[in-house]
Amino acid sequence: MKTLKTILTGFTLILCQQLCAQQTDSAPDLPYSNKIEISPDALEKLFHSPDDVAIVLAPGFELKGKVKNRTDHGNSVTSLLIDVASRPGGTLSISRYQDAGGKIYYSAHLLKLHEHEGMLLVEKDKRYYFIETQQRFLVSE
Amino acid sequence: MKTLRYHILICSFVLAVVVPRAQTPLLNSYSPAQPTVYLVFDGAEVDGTIWNEQGKILADPAGLSPSTITWIHHLIAEHFTLFNLNVTTDPAVYLRAPVQQRVKVIFTPSGTWYGNVSGVSAIGSFVWGDDTPAWVFTGMLSNDPSFIANAAVHQIGHTLGLQHQSLYDSYGIMITELSGGETNIFSSQAPLMGIPFYKKAGWTNGHPSTGPQYVQNDTAAIAGAPNAIGYRKVITEEKQDDNAIFIERNRPGNVQLISMGNFNFRLIDMSGRILTQGELRTGFNEIHVHNGSTGVLVLQWSDGNRSGSQKLMGL
Repeated sequence: MKTLKTILTGFTLILCQQLCAQQTDSAPDLPYSNKIEISPDALEKLFHSPDDVAIVLAPGFELKGKVKNRTDHGNSVTSLLIDVASRPGGTLSISRYQDAGGKIYYSAHLLKLHEHEGMLLVEKDKRYYFIETQQRFLVSE
Repeated sequence: MKTLRYHILICSFVLAVVVPRAQTPLLNSYSPAQPTVYLVFDGAEVDGTIWNEQGKILADPAGLSPSTITWIHHLIAEHFTLFNLNVTTDPAVYLRAPVQQRVKVIFTPSGTWYGNVSGVSAIGSFVWGDDTPAWVFTGMLSNDPSFIANAAVHQIGHTLGLQHQSLYDSYGIMITELSGGETNIFSSQAPLMGIPFYKKAGWTNGHPSTGPQYVQNDTAAIAGAPNAIGYRKVITEEKQDDNAIFIERNRPGNVQLISMGNFNFRLIDMSGRILTQGELRTGFNEIHVHNGSTGVLVLQWSDGNRSGSQKLMGL
């Protein structure tokens, strides 16, 4: 019985160690203080909105602003730069990508230079989230 | 009066045409690769990016000589020889690169619009597809080519998604965000993503600024997703081809030759000192050699598949 317990404990320890190792070796996710889920529909609406933008991206998260720049790279990548009035001085940079298989995905950053915090759009399990993180992890010197 | 105006106009035109402008040499570190880092030395106008909170940015030219630019390009390219990535100074190459696998680095004397730093970049912007540039402010680097090159590699690393390599104590408390290789004071190595200026800097495998629980393997992160750059194919055997270059004329300070392909070349003296290097294009080429390069010289060329060399006498 004692031997069985020892083997089980040893096995559990090895398993834990391996799981921990996997965790630290994975691609570094960013530490964040806040996370807001955004539907892909809301993101898509941004690309069809007029220059004066007013869209509720999530409950309690309304984006008001003005499109400063639109760039288009042959339909595969479209980028918007929006002056965000609801976050004075902030800029939302958002891109929409379409791969060869027709799959659409997005990347975005909401920043104000020299601020402590910024927001980054991340995709996890086919869901999009704006995470609030330290800006030094988004813009660095 | 009319004659004077006419005279001034003519003089201005002649000056504009005759006065030589500093030109950036067109250099490529690995032409077969599509993923591209474009080094901009001639000044730039930047608008519509996250850097433009205060409006359009007019970046002055770096004011570096062609030979200094060539040296900086060489120093930067050396750090990317492992990867399927082309470091170029050619704007046309940048425009041809996939929009989600390219970034430009602007070298300019001052970054007063941002602050007193040696450079700044957006982490991961290599894949953003919106031409957000990275910056190197040469005035903050004393215009020292090796400082400028290492600062540029550091910023390129950021655009490729890398965070700073940091130093933590045994309790996981950050000692310094930018590691300078202090873990071994006898070591002459420092991380490129730390302080890369005072020791021999290289890519490392360590704990990034995001926390001691993470591990950042610089080279794996550069080559892997989302950059999808990959590593260069290892050429196991380069075919020797000494007949790919025909020397037409060999005069003091100047070599004229016909190349049978596009090659990278270097001209070295008998002590192994590189006198000049660059690219040869198929057809007629001219290589200029500075004074003081008398004696026997060796011209070496390679395109990754073929290589060769020839001795040149009495330059």
